[in-house]
Amino acid sequence: MTLADLKPGQKGKIRKIGALGPMRRRLMDMGVIVGETLEVDKIAPLGDPIELRIKGYNLSLRRKEALEIQVEGV
Amino acid sequence: MKTASVKRQSSAVNDRIFKKDITIAVAGNPNSGKSTLINSIAGTRLQVGNWPGVTVEKRAAVIELEGRNIHLVDLPGVYSLSPYSQEEVISRDYLVNEKPDVIINVVDSTNLERNLYLTLQLIELEIPVVMALNIYDEAESKGYRFDLERLSSMLGVTVIPTTATKGTGIKALLTAAISAAENQHEYTPRPIAYGDDIERAVDVIVKKLNAEYPALMKIYPPRWLAMKLMEQDQSAIEQTGDDDSNRLIAEAVEHLRKAHGDDLEALLADARYAVAAGLTRETLTKPDIMKRELTEKIDSVVLNRFFGIPVFLAAMWIMFKLTFDVSQPFADWLESIFSGPLKRLTADAIAATGAPAWISSLATEGIIAGVGSVLVFVPVIFAMMFFITFLEGSGYMARAAFLMDRTMHSVGLHGKSFIPLLLGFGCNVPAIYATRTLENEKDKILTALLIPLTSCGARLPVYVVFVGAFFAEYAGIVLWSLYVMGIVLAILVGMIFKRTLFRREAPMFIMELPPYRMPSLKSLMIHTWEKGKHFLIKAGTYILAVSIIVWFLLNLPWGVENKKDSYMGQVGQVVAPVLEPLGFGSWEAGSSLIAGLVAKEIVVGTMGEIYVQKEEEEKKENPSLGEALTGIATSFGAAAVSASDNVFSTFGIASISAEESDEQVAEKTPLREELRRQFTPLSAYAFIAFVLLYMPCVVVGAAMRQEFGTWKWYGIAFAYQMALAWSVAFIIYQGGSLLGIGG
Repeated sequence: MTLADLKPGQKGKIRKIGALGPMRRRLMDMGVIVGETLEVDKIAPLGDPIELRIKGYNLSLRRKEALEIQVEGV
Repeated sequence: MKTASVKRQSSAVNDRIFKKDITIAVAGNPNSGKSTLINSIAGTRLQVGNWPGVTVEKRAAVIELEGRNIHLVDLPGVYSLSPYSQEEVISRDYLVNEKPDVIINVVDSTNLERNLYLTLQLIELEIPVVMALNIYDEAESKGYRFDLERLSSMLGVTVIPTTATKGTGIKALLTAAISAAENQHEYTPRPIAYGDDIERAVDVIVKKLNAEYPALMKIYPPRWLAMKLMEQDQSAIEQTGDDDSNRLIAEAVEHLRKAHGDDLEALLADARYAVAAGLTRETLTKPDIMKRELTEKIDSVVLNRFFGIPVFLAAMWIMFKLTFDVSQPFADWLESIFSGPLKRLTADAIAATGAPAWISSLATEGIIAGVGSVLVFVPVIFAMMFFITFLEGSGYMARAAFLMDRTMHSVGLHGKSFIPLLLGFGCNVPAIYATRTLENEKDKILTALLIPLTSCGARLPVYVVFVGAFFAEYAGIVLWSLYVMGIVLAILVGMIFKRTLFRREAPMFIMELPPYRMPSLKSLMIHTWEKGKHFLIKAGTYILAVSIIVWFLLNLPWGVENKKDSYMGQVGQVVAPVLEPLGFGSWEAGSSLIAGLVAKEIVVGTMGEIYVQKEEEEKKENPSLGEALTGIATSFGAAAVSASDNVFSTFGIASISAEESDEQVAEKTPLREELRRQFTPLSAYAFIAFVLLYMPCVVVGAAMRQEFGTWKWYGIAFAYQMALAWSVAFIIYQGGSLLGIGG
């Protein structure tokens, strides 16, 4: 399951980050690291991007980026 | 006595020695209140420019404190010091190469853990760090309790709670920073322990670096470089060379690779976050029950599935109206001074000295008109900067990007591109400045290249004259078609540029949605003032120069009677054949279009001058200087009243302006009569399409030069728009002729 499969209100624990290079590093720098729990907060009115809560703050990602993040249900 | 005076002397010498200049770098996450903090320290002494070679803004100031000079350098807001984003590279290059005396690390105390991630990396640079635990009032009101001493001793840095919006803690912060800078030798960096595994590897690499690269070790903090090599940081690897870096670390990290796999970059990020989480746990107590925050409440409306976009569009409409309606009366007022009293008084003064008429003309038509055309932009730039800074400081800009990203991304742009493009419909110049809200250089430039395709207010007078002369019955549809043409072409051009000029860039949308906060009035004022001032000084020079050149073109050679024989007319004759296939191959059209370089509405004025014999200027009795000044003051009052009227009418139903422009469209003027003789409806439409699309005015060029530090992008915009305008007008005229329309 990837982050893009979660619906608003659902939580997930990060298992693997598939992205490479700058995107991967940027995600990690923003606290998106393996083992971290996140919660999907909202989906933008037009369906993309999504907003999630992680490490006590709100982060938004495009669906394409969310597809790279594998999560397991919590 | 003697010894005492010697002592005094030597202590005075010592004072001078110790009171040397201090350089303070200010670093922190975006949204940590860093820029407000700098504003409250340096105020209007801030100098704004760009970091060399990039579009990232550099703010710096020199302040005097206790008889010494303190150089403040504001580093770009960053989350980390990785080598991928421009901001991060600038920050770390500055810190490593310039070695400031002390770093003030601005930390958002409501978001401690993620902010500490950067703090840990700053500490590794072995420059004394002083932490400003900012937005402290908000953290306190949320019930957060910090163990400041513990945080300070665990990190080995001084921690000062601050609330930059209120100026609280700023003095203590500066004192702490100066003392840290003075007592460099006492600063004992307390390396954060990342666990035995990692530490063992770091030790081995540091030893090797010390033995093999003594020169490099003078520049880089050994521990930092060792960790960067482990992270496979490209710019660190460049220092040692590919093979060497592999050899250096291979042995040291073998045990790590065995235990954790090959991804050492992730391993270190994990380790840093583990330390940050540990520090947060040990030093911050949050209340058990968190109340639903204001930000969540606001977001449940403004990001709502159904209301989000309507609310956004309404907010944008209000902002657009306020920006242009509030500034317009002041622009008109400035314009009236320059074209009225100032021109008259100057002309009188010059005539009194007995100088030839051409000097008077150069002074009034060239210089004063040129200065005037710079100044009329100032109100709109002030107004736009005010709103943009407010949107950004309040946190709504990130929401706007969140709402619009889907739409903008489909054209290869970022969600944040929407607002600059929208502003373009008012005036392209503030729109170019508004691209600074985009973080990525590629997004910034691509947006700026598309802005000139949004039909600005200065093009409207040109449309109105032609529509009035040829399409009075279908005025609405024709005007609408031009705006739509601009938007459609912007989409197409955007897609082409994305696949050509910016092909290699990897697009990302990993963006924080910060909590809503009320920006401080001081910060709003400072940002607004900075931009207005910069525009006047930097952009003003170029615009004035072009205005004067255009004047000379129109008035040389000496004593030219007929405009056709002026240099401008001659250039018009040269370009006429190029415009021939577009249906308007006359020197008059060519000259008017060239004059439009100054500003597109000038096209109409120039046509008026060329096509229609100049009507006798009304001879009024010249008012005295005193009367003129009173007139200026009264009209300023009227402008202020009119601006505030516009604020209110924004929220009401104001259709007066629409009625007015209908009247304008229907008006019959000598120019329109003449145009009907010179153009066919088809060539008229080709002409206004050409005006919509051709080269952006020089003011836009000056803005691009200022934002991007080079004329290159204006050159590209100039070239592609000329080609685009020519092709579109060609298709309209030739296609229309083939179909037998309006021939």
